[in-house]
Amino acid sequence: MGQFVVRRVLSSVVVLVLGSIVVFLGIRALPGDPALALAGESADPAVLAAIRRQYGLDQPWPIQYIHYVAQALQGNFGISTVDQIPVSQILAERIPVTLEIAFLAILVGILIGVPAGVISAVRQGKLADYVATGLGLVGLSVPHFWLGLLGIWIFAVHLRVLPASGFVGLAEDPVENLRRMVMPVLVLGTGLSAVLMRQSRSALLSQLSEDYVRTARAKGLPHRAQVRHALRNSLTTVTTVLGLQLGGLISGAVVTEQIFVIPGFGKLTVDAVLQRNYPVIEGVVLVTVSGYVVINLLVDLTYAWLNPRLRLTGGDS
Amino acid sequence: MRLYVGIGLAAAIAMSLAACSTPGDGQTSRGPTDASSGAGSGGTMRVAIASDPGTLDPTLANTFEARVVFTSFCEKLYDASNSLKIVPQLAADLPKTSADGLTVTIALRSGVKFNDGTAFDASAVKTSLDRHLTLEGSARTRELAAVKSVDVVDPTTLRINLRRPFSPLGAQLADRAGLIMSPTALKKLGKNFGNSPVCVGPFTWAGRTAGSEIKFTKSNDYYDASKVRLRGVTYRIITDDNARAANLQSGDVDVAEQLDSNDIPRLKADSNLTVKDISAISYQGISINIGNTQGIGKPSGTIDTPLGRNPELRKAFEMALDRDAMNEVVYNGANAVDCLPFPMQSEFRPEKPACTPYDPAQAKKLVQASGEKTPIPVDLMIPAGSGADRLAQVIQSMAEKVGFAVRIKPQEFISALAAARAGKFDTFLIGWSGRVDPDGNISDLVTSGGSNNFSGVSDPQLDELATDAAAASATKERAAIYVQTLERLKEIRSNIYLYHDRWFLGFSKEVTGVAYPADGIPRFKSASFTP
Amino acid sequence: MSQVGLATAAPVVRVSQGRRLRRRFLRRPMAVIGLVLVAAFVLLALVGPLVSGDPLAQDFGARLAPPSAHHLLGTDDLGRDVFARIAHGARVSLLAGVASTALAVVVGVPIGLGAGYFRGWLDSAIMRLNDVLLAFPFLIFAVGLAAILGASLRNVVLALAIAQLPSVIRITRGEALVLRDQDFVSGAVADGARPITIMFRYLLPNSLNALIVQATVAIPGAIIGEAALSFLGLGVQPPTPSWGVMLTTAQQFLAQAPQLAIFPGLMIALATLGFNLLGDGLRDVLDPRSH
Repeated sequence: MGQFVVRRVLSSVVVLVLGSIVVFLGIRALPGDPALALAGESADPAVLAAIRRQYGLDQPWPIQYIHYVAQALQGNFGISTVDQIPVSQILAERIPVTLEIAFLAILVGILIGVPAGVISAVRQGKLADYVATGLGLVGLSVPHFWLGLLGIWIFAVHLRVLPASGFVGLAEDPVENLRRMVMPVLVLGTGLSAVLMRQSRSALLSQLSEDYVRTARAKGLPHRAQVRHALRNSLTTVTTVLGLQLGGLISGAVVTEQIFVIPGFGKLTVDAVLQRNYPVIEGVVLVTVSGYVVINLLVDLTYAWLNPRLRLTGGDS
Repeated sequence: MRLYVGIGLAAAIAMSLAACSTPGDGQTSRGPTDASSGAGSGGTMRVAIASDPGTLDPTLANTFEARVVFTSFCEKLYDASNSLKIVPQLAADLPKTSADGLTVTIALRSGVKFNDGTAFDASAVKTSLDRHLTLEGSARTRELAAVKSVDVVDPTTLRINLRRPFSPLGAQLADRAGLIMSPTALKKLGKNFGNSPVCVGPFTWAGRTAGSEIKFTKSNDYYDASKVRLRGVTYRIITDDNARAANLQSGDVDVAEQLDSNDIPRLKADSNLTVKDISAISYQGISINIGNTQGIGKPSGTIDTPLGRNPELRKAFEMALDRDAMNEVVYNGANAVDCLPFPMQSEFRPEKPACTPYDPAQAKKLVQASGEKTPIPVDLMIPAGSGADRLAQVIQSMAEKVGFAVRIKPQEFISALAAARAGKFDTFLIGWSGRVDPDGNISDLVTSGGSNNFSGVSDPQLDELATDAAAASATKERAAIYVQTLERLKEIRSNIYLYHDRWFLGFSKEVTGVAYPADGIPRFKSASFTP
Repeated sequence: MSQVGLATAAPVVRVSQGRRLRRRFLRRPMAVIGLVLVAAFVLLALVGPLVSGDPLAQDFGARLAPPSAHHLLGTDDLGRDVFARIAHGARVSLLAGVASTALAVVVGVPIGLGAGYFRGWLDSAIMRLNDVLLAFPFLIFAVGLAAILGASLRNVVLALAIAQLPSVIRITRGEALVLRDQDFVSGAVADGARPITIMFRYLLPNSLNALIVQATVAIPGAIIGEAALSFLGLGVQPPTPSWGVMLTTAQQFLAQAPQLAIFPGLMIALATLGFNLLGDGLRDVLDPRSH
């Protein structure tokens, strides 16, 4: 297991380096640059040149990259071109926000999705199955941003029971923070629960038809025990899906963040690209990729724990 | 950020002139400081602004929103009144120009302190102006290009030496170039001044959360502190128009600026809210590429498109556009339809502007007379996601009726800007944040080599007129030259000016004393909550 | 174990099996409803635009009109017929959903199978690249593509396909990895079957369950994705009528003309629901393990 972890960590570093190069080149391929974005109506050549010099953009890109990596290794991710705030500070402000949303949304997703999936698989073809499957389908079929807009309309504007948008730090005022999280988390969480419900239903159904369950059934093992065995094995699929979804949640919360005006990671990302805020884009990618790598490692370890067969083959998944 | 594309209010990447009547003048502030709102805001006003102001370093700042935020903590030598006249702010009097027009003397207020307690005097002003002139990357150098040097005459008198007579100087000092920074803070922070800026102002810096909010608290050092009622002001960045309106309605903010005209009927019907509006100094228009072949800063050439080579076709295009219907359909009739780049309040406007009339029949004739094969293809570049698409679709359908096939090409904003600068466009739906002084709406935009001359206009006659107008000092004389300038501009027809925006400021009924002058920048110096 | 059945059945048997599958499918009312919804959606996309009239014709005299005999679903903010725009919008949604998923599957499945079958360094290399792709914030792709290519349908399809690619690769590879250890595959390997044969005749058919589940999430997901990208201004651009664009505009007029938001929203939900129901039905029928 130790060797497995070491190998995984090493390959994670490779992913990080690749990711940082891809983004470094990618953003420089976009039309326009930070200077153009910053200078605005004052975009005469002297101003543009000065800004480029200030951010080292007049250097050839390999030098820029080496410089960036050297600085990043010392914990310096540069200065945001838009507001001159250190990128590390911006990231430190934004990451907890999105992590909180993602965590709560996953919680909602698991709490609703997995039990619903299990119930509907166990009671396949019964009323409960139809209800759960039907709701799952509706959850998948309704565009989230639409749900968010309707939510604002109903709860904030008409009923005035929840704030329309905005964010209060968890440390600042926990109650208010949670109150403001209710709508975005529900909007994200319901979509997620629909996905989880479907995947866990499907995985459990597959497992229930596997030979070992049939054998167990033939041997007279109680239904409940059959399900317990099958459930444990189907968790592999659910974990994978969750891992996939989490990566998506972190950057994909953007529409929700946009609607509810939450200063999270997704919003930071879009704004940074639109403003050609190179240092922030690079920081965002670095953090997202690292976050993903860590989650992935955890998923893989869970995987190996849940499915001993993979552990035996040393499954480098 | 960037060039103004505040088409609709959605883009809100605006910058317009920081002009103002001295807030509080003629306005009675009601209620004591601690009589805060029912929203429990404790005397701190929460203001939703439409985009990130970017850097708040006065020398480097570029955005409209930065101008909005500056009014709370950073005063200028001059300010502009509601009728767009220059009035003193930190200066004690209007600038006095020598007979040859090359020396300008400015008297300063005495007894003024910066928010860190540093005394405000002529040498502090010189430090700031010198920084505007020389700091690398300064966005003020072009605005102050006519300034040769700055001298301290005595603690309350400043002398500015000019390279050439330059009437718009007062207007420039009523904008960001007139922002004065604390020399103590400058010494301490240097290039990082924008991280915790210190100026003279009713409120003082209390911190910023990147991309989210900027906080200010009441200043104890402010010379006019008796007029300041609020304990503080917090600007919240809410870029989505609907979200801004929704936040206002739900009471999460007390004030919201740049509201969408389509939300106005609903907001006005809300008994908890008040909506104020102004005709902004910004304009929107269509820039037609007539000579930008190699990019801005390079010599102009000939553009081989029907619209690019034939002014008569540009005229036909303009005649196809029914500005009133456009305004009605897209903006609920809110904007001020116009065919000139000068603000409606400007004293330099001709009395009766001779606009090209909406005349589709005549337009059709011109199209036929041009000998071009119809429908004539025209690419119209617009900034994507800015709300410009609705206007573009209306233009498309109007132009189609006289024989133009308009293809709308939405581009993400910076890409659009890059394409426009490189000359890779036919026509571009873009605006200008507008300037109080007419020179700021002509020079650099349609003059040879201008850094915002997307169309690639290069006309010696127009250049000369623009230079003469900026040098003339008497208003009447300048106005007369501008009449000729606008006439020449119409003949060239590189730009089709469409309208000036109407801007809306919404606030809760508990809020009082917010000034909202013609520049569209709300001021909170004398604002308060009613008990 | 019936896993071999589908792939190795002789052609003659397959015909009768097809009939059996069809019968099984038709016995499921939900699946049939899904099929009907999808068929209606496809029909609307193909035929609708031919009969619906001009989706771009503006009538300033009839803006935000409620549904009437003249305008079946009313008009929008520029006085355009909403029904015509819905019909044309169906094309955009269908294209965005199907094309992006198809692109992701065509590219992703062989890669995933290869990684799962060969394992070793190839698998490692593919999965690291896949990790980069998966870890990379999708939005940066979407915004970046929009910046380079201009916001358009092509850009949407490409962005959505890229977004789906890692999932397709991972799921296919995960399935292949597990199947590779099954007796029937080891048997075929021992018999000297070529890798390509094993991948496409043994591994692929047996991965269909997971792939169909993935696709049933992906197509409707892409339809919603198109709407979301348009909502952010990165998607299909006006005047092209897309449901996402319609919703975005409708948002401004929610108070005055809620029908503008209701119809496209409903269409998205119905089309999505159709694909989801159809996918569920197909899986139940195609996957012998669920019986």
